[in-house]
Amino acid sequence: MEQTRKDSRRIEHRQGKYACTFRVNGKEVSVDASPMDRVVDLLRDGLHETGTKISCGIGRCGACSIWVDGRLTSSCLLLAYQVEGKEVTTIEGMGTEERCSIVQEAFMNEGGFQCGYCTPGMIMAAESLLRHTPDPDDEEIREGLSGNICRCTGYSGIIRAVKAAAANLQ
Amino acid sequence: MKQPEYQRRPDAVPKVTGSLKYLTDRFEENMLIGKVLRSEYPHARIKRIDTSAAEALPGVHAVLTHHDVPGLNRFGIVMPDQPVFCEDRVRYTGDAVAAVAAESAESADQALAAVVVEYEPLPVLDSVEKALTPEAEQLHENGNILHEASYTRGDLQQGFAGCTCIVEETYQLPRQMHGYMETEGGVVVPESDGGISVYMATQHGFKDRFQLSRILETPEEKIRIISSPIGGSFGGKDELNLQPYGALLALKTGRPVRVHNTREESIRAGLKRHPMAITMRTGADESGRVLAHETTIYADTGAYATLGPAILEFAVEHASGLYPIPNITTTGVSVFTNNGVAGEFRGFGGNQVTFALEGQMDRLAEKLGMEGTKLRARNMRKPSDTGPLGQGIAPTDGGRMILEDVTTWQQLPLSNAGETAWVKNGRGGAVSMHGGGLGYGRLDPSGGRLALTKEGKLEAAFGFEECGQGIVAVIETVMKGTFSCNEEDIEITIGDTNKVPVSGSTTASRGTSMVWTAVENMKASFRRQLLIEASRVTGTAAADLYLGAGGVHKRGAEPSLFLSYKALAEYVQDGDIETHTSFDFPVTPDEIDSGHYLYSFGGVSAEVEVNLLTGTVRVLDLKQSVSAGPVMYPQGYRGQIEGGGIMALGYTLMEDAVMQEGRYQTENFDTYLMPGVKDLPDNVTVKPREEVMEGDIHGPRGVGEIGTIAVAPAIAEAIYQAIGARPEKLPVSREWVLQQIQQRGLLPWNKPEKIPGG
Ligand code: FES
Ligand code: FES
Repeated sequence: MEQTRKDSRRIEHRQGKYACTFRVNGKEVSVDASPMDRVVDLLRDGLHETGTKISCGIGRCGACSIWVDGRLTSSCLLLAYQVEGKEVTTIEGMGTEERCSIVQEAFMNEGGFQCGYCTPGMIMAAESLLRHTPDPDDEEIREGLSGNICRCTGYSGIIRAVKAAAANLQ
Repeated sequence: MKQPEYQRRPDAVPKVTGSLKYLTDRFEENMLIGKVLRSEYPHARIKRIDTSAAEALPGVHAVLTHHDVPGLNRFGIVMPDQPVFCEDRVRYTGDAVAAVAAESAESADQALAAVVVEYEPLPVLDSVEKALTPEAEQLHENGNILHEASYTRGDLQQGFAGCTCIVEETYQLPRQMHGYMETEGGVVVPESDGGISVYMATQHGFKDRFQLSRILETPEEKIRIISSPIGGSFGGKDELNLQPYGALLALKTGRPVRVHNTREESIRAGLKRHPMAITMRTGADESGRVLAHETTIYADTGAYATLGPAILEFAVEHASGLYPIPNITTTGVSVFTNNGVAGEFRGFGGNQVTFALEGQMDRLAEKLGMEGTKLRARNMRKPSDTGPLGQGIAPTDGGRMILEDVTTWQQLPLSNAGETAWVKNGRGGAVSMHGGGLGYGRLDPSGGRLALTKEGKLEAAFGFEECGQGIVAVIETVMKGTFSCNEEDIEITIGDTNKVPVSGSTTASRGTSMVWTAVENMKASFRRQLLIEASRVTGTAAADLYLGAGGVHKRGAEPSLFLSYKALAEYVQDGDIETHTSFDFPVTPDEIDSGHYLYSFGGVSAEVEVNLLTGTVRVLDLKQSVSAGPVMYPQGYRGQIEGGGIMALGYTLMEDAVMQEGRYQTENFDTYLMPGVKDLPDNVTVKPREEVMEGDIHGPRGVGEIGTIAVAPAIAEAIYQAIGARPEKLPVSREWVLQQIQQRGLLPWNKPEKIPGG
């Protein structure tokens, strides 16, 4: 008999897991999941890809931002079945310690981070913005980052970084 | 390609690539998941706790209550009054009653749900007023007053007698949440010697070790605290939070245990900024000289003490700020309630009291028909003046310098003035003074260690934590500046009680200043040791050698690099070249409790735009001038002030963790709003004023807090300039703004209503 119950986040869980298969940064992965598991937990706990962070768990802060088939989205609001067969891109797919992306370089140069906890999500948002809007004006930058909260920097350094990255990408 | 303006922080690459492992990212083989059961009631007696059903669940390895605490079942930095697990009474909804460790988060959740706790609800003391009534139930043995503090000088009555102009107001300050993006948590690992390693954020590893040792009844040497990197703290992670539960569960089960608060759990249990009600009566003579200043502070400290007493004393000290007023009486009371626990938060009581003080200055200035900046200049402290408690302090001209900048900025024309009938602009300025270090009468030791490691690195070790503020960048910059070495030559050791010397807490804007002082103390001896050793190894006179990039250099040689640090390290034993320092944070020579010695100053000028139709206040321009000695790491300095400024903008315009009957009305970031990128002013300026007095030996003062202090009063004054109403309550709500607009008939199609009492 299948059991259902609710956890502290009031999400319903079912006993019984299945192999959830999708691609992460170009590599096919298969994780034990119940369809209702959050993608952020699959990434962090299942795959130990902890670059994607968890902060609010309700889609308000953007710390968990990833791309699914190239679209920016909050992985705390995404359930396992929703990424089945999809291409997931995380911060680990953006650049490496040896070769950072232009956006990552700009964040380092312009003071786009302090504690760094919002940074992976912020960079996913910034990369997404610049892919869709290569030469954003101030309003577009603000719009593009409006789903991401940073408590440390006060955003000035982040905006400097996005502007510098946009200029360098030209 | 745009050239970077700044040196990169040493933690830059791991942070932007996501490869940095925070303590909540840790994964251990065989790890269990821990969770804490918090009280259902803000105030209740516990009649019964039954854990048997929870224990019987599959996958559950431990269910702990107060019976399972081997040592002191209490914690608290100043006085241990907060139960690890409540025995017979709960005093706020964050109180812990039980904790479980299970194989998965799901089974841990099930176990929590299966713990039976029977409560008998008690009357909820959800305000300072209620807690102070004679009939109120006593929340602690000594009653409902946590602490009282006061300061008097001169004769208040006489002072007021000489005043031609007196203003009085009561200011209400909200319960701000730290809102660090990484919630509390981490992993505790039991070690083979019976000890534990605690991988959890804190602002003072040794203090956690001490507190845990008391709780676990385990010698401190058996507890290792690994506490950096941290995803933000702002004071909120200085006190213990989940460490006791992780530790007890790990010791009980013999397995690593991960505990990590959800945001909801973090809000419910975590600290907040003290809500305060501050009444000030301030009087000046015709010329604008402030002669008398009376302050009464009521602070809602919540259910337990933590740093409540020190925060109240800080507020009392800073009640007269930068103005050496001859007649002062300040009294403060910090009161226990059944609300969320209030504790350490960036600014430490200074934010609240400065909002009130600067509000008084603006009210006085208006009554006197003077410019606000002029009134401030008339009353500004002189370099040789004593501190606010009459204590001797390091001479400083910071107040005058930052006021000079604010005065200039206040003359700037308003942007888009008069463009639309329903938008009004205004500009306001305010200044602040903020003590660094813990203050007179409090143990405030610091220190550091420099060593040449086996691998040939110049190791700089400090007991400070990296919570984002950039202490690693400060250490790197100071090391490079002192020894002319490269980044690659330096190894920074922090955040591990097994490896670092005692440096004191990473609080009170003391880190930067202490790193600088420590390296100053150690540099001669370290340099000498390295050069003597290099001279011995190479047979070259030490006088011909000097330290530089990559290693020891020789004068006149081409290339000058003579012996790399790595090569030198091969000739010496580990620990051969090592130097230590320990010292105390500088304190006032006068025996005045809690008085500070080193102060920083911050001046703010803000322009706002008030939308008369919606009541929205938008900050367009936020300029800050800061006097805190020389800048060590420019990017970090700027970031602290920019970030602090926006955090304070939130405090002023949107943030309040509202409580009703002892329960948070907010659970998460959907109902607690912090500034987002769209709230960022169009222009944010940071102007460091680096000059110090001649002969000043104290180097840099920290800037972790100063950027948050004078922002609120500056914005409040800007709002007044825009709509003619003075906010005395934060955050300034749209409802209030609209009401003021209505009452004043500011919209062309509204007739002014009679202002009640006006
Ligand atoms: S954790 Fe997903 S949006 Fe905050
Ligand atoms: S850098 Fe800390 S939250 Fe953004």
